[in-house]
Amino acid sequence: MIGMLLSANIIAQLILIALTIWGYWVVFAKCEKPKWYSFIPVFREYQLGKCADRETDARVYVWFTAVDYGFNVYSILNPGWNESGSFLVLLVALIVLTCFFGTFIYAIRIYSGLCDLFGVKKRKLWWMIVFDNSILLLIFGLRKKYQPKFIYVDERDNEGAALSGIRADALEEGLTVNIEERTASDFFKKRYLLRDIHLNIQPGHMVLLLGGSGAGKTTFLNAVNGYEKAKAEILLDGNNVYEDYAKMKYKVGFVPQMDLMRTNDTVGRTLMDAAKLRLPSDTKGSDRRERVLEVLRFFGLEPVKDKLCDKLSGGQRKRLSIAMEYISNPDLFILDEPDSGLDGVMARELMEGLRKIADQGKIVIVITHSPDRVIDLFDDVIVLAKDSKLTGRLTYFGPVEEAKKFFERDKMEQVVLRINRKEEGGEGLADSFIEKYAEVCHG
Amino acid sequence: MADREIKKKVRSHTYRGRFTQIPIYIGKFFRMFVYLSDWKVIPMAACIAALVAFVVRSTFFVTMEGTIKGTLALTSVALWNGCFNSIQVVCRERAIIKREHRSGMHITSYIFSHMFYQAFLCVLQTVTTIAICMYLKVKFPNTPVVTDYFLLDLGITLFLITFAADMLSLFISCVVKSTTAAMTVMPLVLLVQLVFSGILFSLPKSMEKATHLMISNHGACAICALADYNELPSSSGWTMIKKMADQPDADPEIKAMVVTMEAEGKDEYVKRETAKSNFKEDYVKSYDNLTRRWAVIGIFAFLFAGASVIALEFIDKDKR
Repeated sequence: MIGMLLSANIIAQLILIALTIWGYWVVFAKCEKPKWYSFIPVFREYQLGKCADRETDARVYVWFTAVDYGFNVYSILNPGWNESGSFLVLLVALIVLTCFFGTFIYAIRIYSGLCDLFGVKKRKLWWMIVFDNSILLLIFGLRKKYQPKFIYVDERDNEGAALSGIRADALEEGLTVNIEERTASDFFKKRYLLRDIHLNIQPGHMVLLLGGSGAGKTTFLNAVNGYEKAKAEILLDGNNVYEDYAKMKYKVGFVPQMDLMRTNDTVGRTLMDAAKLRLPSDTKGSDRRERVLEVLRFFGLEPVKDKLCDKLSGGQRKRLSIAMEYISNPDLFILDEPDSGLDGVMARELMEGLRKIADQGKIVIVITHSPDRVIDLFDDVIVLAKDSKLTGRLTYFGPVEEAKKFFERDKMEQVVLRINRKEEGGEGLADSFIEKYAEVCHG
Repeated sequence: MADREIKKKVRSHTYRGRFTQIPIYIGKFFRMFVYLSDWKVIPMAACIAALVAFVVRSTFFVTMEGTIKGTLALTSVALWNGCFNSIQVVCRERAIIKREHRSGMHITSYIFSHMFYQAFLCVLQTVTTIAICMYLKVKFPNTPVVTDYFLLDLGITLFLITFAADMLSLFISCVVKSTTAAMTVMPLVLLVQLVFSGILFSLPKSMEKATHLMISNHGACAICALADYNELPSSSGWTMIKKMADQPDADPEIKAMVVTMEAEGKDEYVKRETAKSNFKEDYVKSYDNLTRRWAVIGIFAFLFAGASVIALEFIDKDKR
């Protein structure tokens, strides 16, 4: 009797496996995926997530399913695995239970994406909840009226714009950037975040860094200041930023977008601590105090030096955030959206302050999303764009007026629209401008 | 030539290293003590200590049962104080730390400064807790084990428990990304500490080893050793006999016997004999036992601090 029940259970399991494979097979056929994927557990779940345009969810889903499959196989091979009732068994049971719930929740997310893909109401998910995933897959795959509304294409597999083959000459004074590539591992795949960016900036130049969302502006800045190293050579006044990062980081000031400071400290103390941290250790106390006073005056913060940072206005706090980096008198000054949250007048004042810093012979690179109100203060502009492979590429570097001619637009905001992708409301011309810029550089 | 001079200029500067950065952060944290209401942990510690001392004072250090309850309560107070001192300190300023790390701050300096500052808070909380217990007339023994003063021994024990718990929560604060996550994890950690303390529940054999990994277990053992638990009378047996004798249908002979024994002071004998069956090796009042417990708790504290450094070294990987 037990033997019969056991064999009945095995038969039921085999039928379920066959139905699941069949379900995947027919769905992959409709989604133009190789049908043999349906035979590989875990991998097929990931591919199904991609079909449903739920790739991010699929990445988590595969881990849960991997544990689930692994546990199923283990428990079949070791039927009495839980008989000891030990702490380890309890722990394993808890992990498996968590993964079981995780699998269920992520399956709902992915199958919900499949409902969208096939234009089916979400109530069809009940088929999955009450019976099995395979039933829903078979419904989607076998019924002719359910056809996919779109075919998922991973744009990062596209060809992308051609490489320029340019290399910027090293400057004895100023910044030389030669980024071959900046990559990241993305779910076992190498992804290009930045590629082929070569330029050099003269001292005393204030440079606007322009680009749409996700174009790699912050990645570029992090690569330039050595915070996140790329396959690149970055020279600042002839010194290699990467090779000598421990020292060179004091020559680069990076002001993040948010005003990151301890608001329960006074302005003076905040700046003094920044000075202690960033000025050379052999700086005399009197020189340090003098420098702090000088910076307080430069940024108009002297009247509020004894106030808590918490009590400062938005503009004052922004100036303090900049002052914290400026205190070490860096040669390269990088600011990530310093005008965010400021009104037009305050933003203009702030940018004029940055212009003064540039006029002291320093390089100032600024990201801003409202460039046109302050464009007269900039010397050059760097334009980054995502190519069709979704890699950040250099679309233009040079004087502002030349940029307007290059892109055939009068405003910088219109320039961004030219290179932005169509689905972002832009004209989708990034690839052609990347190649055009390479041609211009080659003369 | 000029190229070489520039390179030389940059390389010739030295900046503050790990040790010289520590005073900067200690200064910052002490200013936070004043401006950020960190001082409120002291009155909070006083309130918790008062509440607990008020409940356990009559039997703490007097009987085995009272001492166990008192030990559990005092250990919980120390754990609570320590955990809540630093559970949010890192995660609430994670973005600031990331910025400062980028500007040359050493994570080791930052964590060491925290250790110093948190130790200061823990000392204040320990002193407050003991002062409150004294004020509420908890009957402290006067037989020290390691130092010449019992209260100093107790103070060191409570300080170490508080500090180790503090470092544990500092580590959690370094791992989690938000204050909400920290406050979600915290009760779980406290629960595990109490369940595996070895005082509250008798655990299955397979799980007994887990108690050795708990600050609460070593802390409780240290307090019990200080209280000379094994030499205290056990009141549970005698209380049971009295309850039986007080039953309306109890045998009059038994009632009379209980009254006689009490009158002759033989109840103390019963209490002492019962205590013998409750003897525990872990609670032996000895120099070796106490210093070993202190050392283990101290090692825990430093391990958690080390783990905090490692966890925070990955702060640059934080997404924007």
